[in-house]
Amino acid sequence: MNQRRNFFPRCSGWIFVLPFLILFSAFLLTPLLYGLALSFFNWEMLSPAPAQFIGWGNFREALHSDRFWASTLATARFVIMATPATVGLSLALALGINTIQGRRQAFYRASYFLPGLLSISVAGLLWTWFYNGEFGLFNAYLEKIGIKIPWLTSTSWAMKSIVIMSLWWCLGGATIILLAGRQQISQSLYEAASIDGAGALSSLWHITIPQMRPVLLFVTVTNIIGSFQVFGQTYIITRGGPEDSTRVLVQYIYETAFLHYRMGYGSAMCWLLFAFIAFFSVIQFMAMKERR
Amino acid sequence: MVVAAVGMSLLGAACSRQARPEVTLRFWNGFTGPDGRPMQQLVKQFNRENPDIRIIMQRMDWYTYYNKLFVAGIGGRAPEVFIIHASNIPRFIHADFLRPVDDLLEKEMGLDPKDFFPSAWNAAGYEGKQYGIPLDISIHGMYYNKTLFRAAGIVDEAGEPRPPRNQREFMEALRKLTLDRDGDGDTDQWGFVFNNTRNSILVLMVQFGGMFFDRDNQQCLLNSERNVRALTWCRDLIHQEKLVPSPENFTAWLGFRQGNVAMVFEGIYMLADLRKQTDLDYGVAPIPTIGEQPATLASSHIVCLRRDLKDSELQAACRFVRFLTDHSLDWAQGGQIPARLSLLETPRFRSMEAQSTFARQLDHVFYEPNQPFNNQFDTEFNEAVEKALRNSESPKAALDRAVENTQRAIRRYYDQWDQAKHSSSEPGAGL
Repeated sequence: MNQRRNFFPRCSGWIFVLPFLILFSAFLLTPLLYGLALSFFNWEMLSPAPAQFIGWGNFREALHSDRFWASTLATARFVIMATPATVGLSLALALGINTIQGRRQAFYRASYFLPGLLSISVAGLLWTWFYNGEFGLFNAYLEKIGIKIPWLTSTSWAMKSIVIMSLWWCLGGATIILLAGRQQISQSLYEAASIDGAGALSSLWHITIPQMRPVLLFVTVTNIIGSFQVFGQTYIITRGGPEDSTRVLVQYIYETAFLHYRMGYGSAMCWLLFAFIAFFSVIQFMAMKERR
Repeated sequence: MVVAAVGMSLLGAACSRQARPEVTLRFWNGFTGPDGRPMQQLVKQFNRENPDIRIIMQRMDWYTYYNKLFVAGIGGRAPEVFIIHASNIPRFIHADFLRPVDDLLEKEMGLDPKDFFPSAWNAAGYEGKQYGIPLDISIHGMYYNKTLFRAAGIVDEAGEPRPPRNQREFMEALRKLTLDRDGDGDTDQWGFVFNNTRNSILVLMVQFGGMFFDRDNQQCLLNSERNVRALTWCRDLIHQEKLVPSPENFTAWLGFRQGNVAMVFEGIYMLADLRKQTDLDYGVAPIPTIGEQPATLASSHIVCLRRDLKDSELQAACRFVRFLTDHSLDWAQGGQIPARLSLLETPRFRSMEAQSTFARQLDHVFYEPNQPFNNQFDTEFNEAVEKALRNSESPKAALDRAVENTQRAIRRYYDQWDQAKHSSSEPGAGL
């Protein structure tokens, strides 16, 4: 009896996490480790040849491949453009929405969040039409003032267009989180500051930003991770073109694995992508910690 | 009492068994466009006429179709009957998915290979064996806007629009049809636009006498002098003559439907799309001979069987395949050319005006290169063509690089093949 009484408190934690643990192991951990093992093999899924262990061969091939670096560069361009813009704009939006009270606040919150509810295929197709150089919505209006932008057809514009679309699509999520973060800050801090004669700008700089740092860190890190994994937008809107300028790493991995069926090479590149993301995330955490 | 009950239940089982189909076959294809409806009608008709067999059709768009088919196959859950494009046959053979049908043709299916359009029939064969039955011939042709042709005065004696037949007529038509209608300095009506650029360039390369691989499939010949000439001609049309827009995302098909583009090269499968539109006076014609010889691209949907069918499934599948090919005129109605020669001669096919115009090109069709490393070739080809047509690289340099990369894929493929021969493992064995 006594034993039984001890058993439950000791194991209750495990019992609660068990359902998640089973799903996590079956659908994440096992494929992850399988993928890691695969990355050391040369295995073409449709080839009659059995998988062959080639050590670091796949990693070496990736690091020496122009295509791999070109798609890494395209990914980096997306991250560099999209992340600061997302964090900056969503912070501005969150602070703006915070000043509105009551039902109107709920309305704005919902309307910014709404695009994110669309699936990427719907959003992507929609924007493909908006961006169409000849018959698209944007150029139809812009042409009235004598401007014609090669949204998806010029190598210098295509990635910017993808970033703009992505902002529209995912700004809402970050805004909601930052808004929640802003609303956690005690009003008394601002009252004290205003008694001390602080203006709006110095309140923002000395109270809002420092208080929101953990939330900002969270939004930035998740955004960088998400941006490194960008795929749906480019795949649907540009298919990697023009001239590979938007062929991001995930798309290259997808094509390698599921179009050319080179599973080992594809897995190796996945792990390289993981290494990039891990590297940048660690740097960010360290930077934020130091400042604290 | 017990005996009676058992007897009753047995009787019941027997009755319900008679009513229920004995064999169920899954039939997968990628006919998600307008071609889905005629196929669905055919499946319904077959199920009605053959109560002992039930066909369950599943459609997915071609983009995801092959992935799902491969994954299903590797997991041992591939459908019993499925459609693949002719160019994919070698890859499926190497993955050991397909059942050769040579022994079934005469007895089980009652089909005569001589009754099939030879190129289509051969496209479903590989190294002396037949791996499926071609259902149709999907061919490329030229669509043209009759209204724009009349307005530009490109008409015959009877006043009917006269589509160009050779390079000279094509260029003449281009000059007359490419217009700046509102006088703002920007062209807003194009004589011709590259739509489906990959296929158009393949056609032109063959017209210029080019080839893509050598006979043994060991060497990629994409950078041959003739192929370079074809691609250079296309680039000059855009950047020197300025008669054709760069094939950047100008969705030519949309432009054609809007009446802003006078000519496009496209597949016969687009007919269904145009038929929905009543305000466009369009015609179809063979692709003009721009190079030294007439040529156009064709492909076929091949009906294939899974390798490991049970006897009962095999018999049912053969009946279904036979039914499909016997009814391929119903299928052609939607915008296809049947692969059966005897059907091409029928008054019903002749009455399908657009289809029979496309069929006039049958004497000089070529099929897409079909190698197991086709996907890699495609990737390289598309990239080279894009670079050349955007003028960011010379056609020669772009094609040279494409060949270099394709050769790497070819080498890798043959290495693996040798390795497979030496290893004792079963074909298709994975990690």
